[in-house]
Amino acid sequence: MRVPCPRASSRALRSGVLALLLGAAAATAQAQGDAKRGQYLAKAGGCLACHTEEKKDAAPFAGGRALKTPFGTFYGPNITPNPEAGIGRWSEADFIRAMRLGVRPDGAHYFPAFPYPSFTRITDGDLRDLFAFLRSLPPNSRANQAHDLRFPFGLRFLVAPWKWLFFTAGPLATDARRSAAVNRGAYLVEALGHCGECHTGRNFLGAPNRDRFLAGSKTGPDGKGVPNLTPTKLKKWDDGELKDFLQTGMTPDGDVAAETMGEVVRNTTGQLTPDDLAALIAYLRSLPPLPDESR
Amino acid sequence: MKKKLFAAGLALALGTGYTFNALAQAKPDVLVKQRQAAMTLIGKYFGPLGGMAQGKVPFDANIVARNAGYLEVLTKLPWDGFDASTQNEKSATLPEVWKDPAKFKAAQDLLQKQVANVVAVAKGGNEAAIKAALGDVGKACGNCHNTFREKK
Repeated sequence: MRVPCPRASSRALRSGVLALLLGAAAATAQAQGDAKRGQYLAKAGGCLACHTEEKKDAAPFAGGRALKTPFGTFYGPNITPNPEAGIGRWSEADFIRAMRLGVRPDGAHYFPAFPYPSFTRITDGDLRDLFAFLRSLPPNSRANQAHDLRFPFGLRFLVAPWKWLFFTAGPLATDARRSAAVNRGAYLVEALGHCGECHTGRNFLGAPNRDRFLAGSKTGPDGKGVPNLTPTKLKKWDDGELKDFLQTGMTPDGDVAAETMGEVVRNTTGQLTPDDLAALIAYLRSLPPLPDESR
Repeated sequence: MKKKLFAAGLALALGTGYTFNALAQAKPDVLVKQRQAAMTLIGKYFGPLGGMAQGKVPFDANIVARNAGYLEVLTKLPWDGFDASTQNEKSATLPEVWKDPAKFKAAQDLLQKQVANVVAVAKGGNEAAIKAALGDVGKACGNCHNTFREKK
């Protein structure tokens, strides 16, 4: 029979406490994401445009941008860490739940104008970094504006059946059959960049047609056409032209992209690192060529 | 002498009248081609300037000044090509041009104003100011295209 040795057990106790403290420290360090990384992720995620008012010298991320849709107009909320007007009272878990599951801290559903069907694919680590970045912003007291939606689309509980039909939560899995670059590009496009939210045609309930992913639409945001990003059309551009366009919004003949995309170029694609931009292009080239939307 | 002068004047007046009539009757497909040609040249001379604004092409104040001068004229040219007679022609133009002519005119005026601004700022030689002014031109292009041109 083993007799417990007093010295051994106190050593065990001390190392146990030490382990606990280290674990707690590690957990805390993990819980406090990297705001610098988060700043880059916020660019790649294009958060600024929808969460900032469309006027000169508007406070960044303080909300106010109007998004007109067939269901009515949505107003992007304040996501600065102001406790009343913004997300100042949110925990990191609240933020992860909002992005991963599309629910408010009080449990109500978000309308999918907030593109959580794309953001759900972002990894936990990146979500923590994004939250850290948002927490680092100066708190702004700009009050949110209520959405202006046609009946019955303003009834939040109707989002529940919409989600059941059209929404699958969860981070993007790596595809081992594809290169690291294509995987990274997939993550940039499908998760952070949420390009499909504009560049995929939607059905009458506003859900994207999965089998027409990135194939463009004649009725995109602003009611105008959106281009097909699969190789059907994209093969006409070589990598240099595509890179130039995504960095400057200009085509080789000096033409300038329409402002809806121009804004994306300035805030998002023009801010990506050269490796990320190359990965994005590699991913687009890897897509199956889909035809344009028929009239 | 007076008779010759009068005859010359009459010929000139008649000749001018004939020319104006011919312009007014230019076929819609010709008008479309002409306005597209103007846009192509705008692209030709804005391209390098846009590249400079983005830092992709080495900055050259002389090229900016020269091209901005060309653009000042070029950006006046396309608009009479958007005659109502061209509405059914095949082009990237959206019907908004004729549904909201005031907005279309405002977009043209903004472009011309921003180009004139580049011409003025280019005289000062301040690279940062010139790049900012060029950025404003790019935004004016994009703004008009957003509403009035079909995305490819």
